[in-house]
Amino acid sequence: MSTRTAGEGLTRARKGVAVAGPGTPGGRRVTQRPGASRLTLFAFAAPALFLLVLLNVYPLLYAAYQSLRDGSLIAAGDFVGLENYTKVLVDPAFWAAARFTVIFTLVGVFGSWFLGLALAILLKTRIPGKTVFRVLLLLPWVVPVVVSATAWNWLVATPQSPMPRLAEALGLGNVLFLANPVLAQVTVCVFKVWISFPFMMMMMAAALESVDNNVYEAAKVDGASRWNELTNITLPMISRSTYISWILMTIFCVNDFPTIYLLTGGGPVNATQSLVVLAYNTVFQNFRTGPGVAVAFLMTLVLVVISVVLYRQIRKVQIL
Amino acid sequence: MTTAALSEDATAFQPPATSPASKKAEPGTRGSGWRFLLVLVVTLVVLVPIVAVVGLSVQPALGSTSTSKFTLENFVSIFSQTDVLTWLRNSLTVTLVTVLVSVIVAAPAGYVLSRGRGRLISGFSLVLFVVQSLPVVTAVIPLFILFAAFGLVDTLTGLMIIYVGSTMSVAIWMMAAYYDSIPVNLEEAAWMDGCSVFGGFVKVVLRNSLPGILSTAIFSFLLAWNDYLVALVFLRSSSVFTLPVGLQSFFQQNATNWGLVMAVAVMMMLPPVILFATLNRYFSVGGIGGSLAGQ
Repeated sequence: MSTRTAGEGLTRARKGVAVAGPGTPGGRRVTQRPGASRLTLFAFAAPALFLLVLLNVYPLLYAAYQSLRDGSLIAAGDFVGLENYTKVLVDPAFWAAARFTVIFTLVGVFGSWFLGLALAILLKTRIPGKTVFRVLLLLPWVVPVVVSATAWNWLVATPQSPMPRLAEALGLGNVLFLANPVLAQVTVCVFKVWISFPFMMMMMAAALESVDNNVYEAAKVDGASRWNELTNITLPMISRSTYISWILMTIFCVNDFPTIYLLTGGGPVNATQSLVVLAYNTVFQNFRTGPGVAVAFLMTLVLVVISVVLYRQIRKVQIL
Repeated sequence: MTTAALSEDATAFQPPATSPASKKAEPGTRGSGWRFLLVLVVTLVVLVPIVAVVGLSVQPALGSTSTSKFTLENFVSIFSQTDVLTWLRNSLTVTLVTVLVSVIVAAPAGYVLSRGRGRLISGFSLVLFVVQSLPVVTAVIPLFILFAAFGLVDTLTGLMIIYVGSTMSVAIWMMAAYYDSIPVNLEEAAWMDGCSVFGGFVKVVLRNSLPGILSTAIFSFLLAWNDYLVALVFLRSSSVFTLPVGLQSFFQQNATNWGLVMAVAVMMMLPPVILFATLNRYFSVGGIGGSLAGQ
């Protein structure tokens, strides 16, 4: 895949092969004057910068402003200082949502990683039809989430659905997957793992490709067991990709709205309400814009920290 | 697992005698049976929901007079009973415009990120990275207020503008990642021949960037085609629904008539699946992440 080489490419570009930018080395015979070049580069980026400011930066700043006001979707409202935040922070619903977000994220990240890694390792070995398996196993990631949520609703939502009927046939009695708070949480998490494991499988398969097979041969000669191979060779050698994929999946899980909302809407009794769903419900169902935006903004701050940390890590390892 | 099985790719094209390890056992045969079975079982379980969508869509719906096990009448019914054609047209319009605009805007901006250097460019790169990881819900509320002032709520135009904004950060990054693989010497040669920076970009870089453009286009396509949250907030009337909200509202009204619901679902999942089947080389999972971690 084309983008795979991004790492090397970035290194090359940042190391100073690129000459069109402001840092043009003086001795080069480039027909453009650096000044003209700089202006051209700005012109290149201008439309994108305009859209980024209008559609990404401005809403963020406006959200910060709005979270300090007692407004609605139509009126700006009065300035209330940090009242929205104190309201949110003493609300048990907020902490319940934060707790569920953490559970959902942990299960989403490690569940999908475990399954994805296991499948990537299995598919690296010699089994018949592995290309077909690889393609089929990516389908949960390719199929739109609205479609798969509909399918999962059919599977589990009503007493007539296949899963409750299967549970009954197995003698587990009347299991209502989305009506019991704990079962609903489990179902939503399993759904998330189902959607996300193909991403992990792709990431891990790409990482495994880069492990030199001679290392395994050497380990074999030294009498390493399969378990030793996994813990002492495979995992350390793919640790960088693993780390990046964990953080990316964390970001995906924390931000996830449709996976939860389409299956449970946050219920039953708010058991599956994550922070994003809480923010949405507070603003668009209960029409309490201030507190809703405050929830969203708190989450945003956490995500800014996570992504800056990730960015730093990537740059440190890869570029410098 | 055997060593030979693990090193399949390395040993497959070598004579067996080159490494002592490949003499042991018959490569990959020992234990491959249970591995195949395990993968097969996992794949079958994983595919149950997707098979169910397709299976239910071709079975007679509630109240149908058909007695056969296979029927296409659900697909006929949804065209007459629902606005699915309108939703499909809306989704296609919004998605194609989003793809077109985001590629056209991101292509030159990615060039700056790839070739430019200095503090400003580093800042630009960090901002793009942070922006792509922020929750959509935070931006949606202020944008709803802004767009209401311009009469863009409940319109497809409003939706397209937001989708272009959502794709922007990742699209720029993906284009830049691709340009990084194109040697800068090619542009230098063009400049020597009297090409302008813009000319060099179009004639040399862009002309060699089809795979990067396709990856970016597919990313934008999936984002716009699959989005539920923005469409849910911004669209109110059935005539401007895109497929995700259309399917969801139809599902809520006909929750028990699975044949019809799944027929709409099949319509919605066909375009991404077809794209995946034909262009899967250009699918980059995870946008920025895919290009960062997959090296």
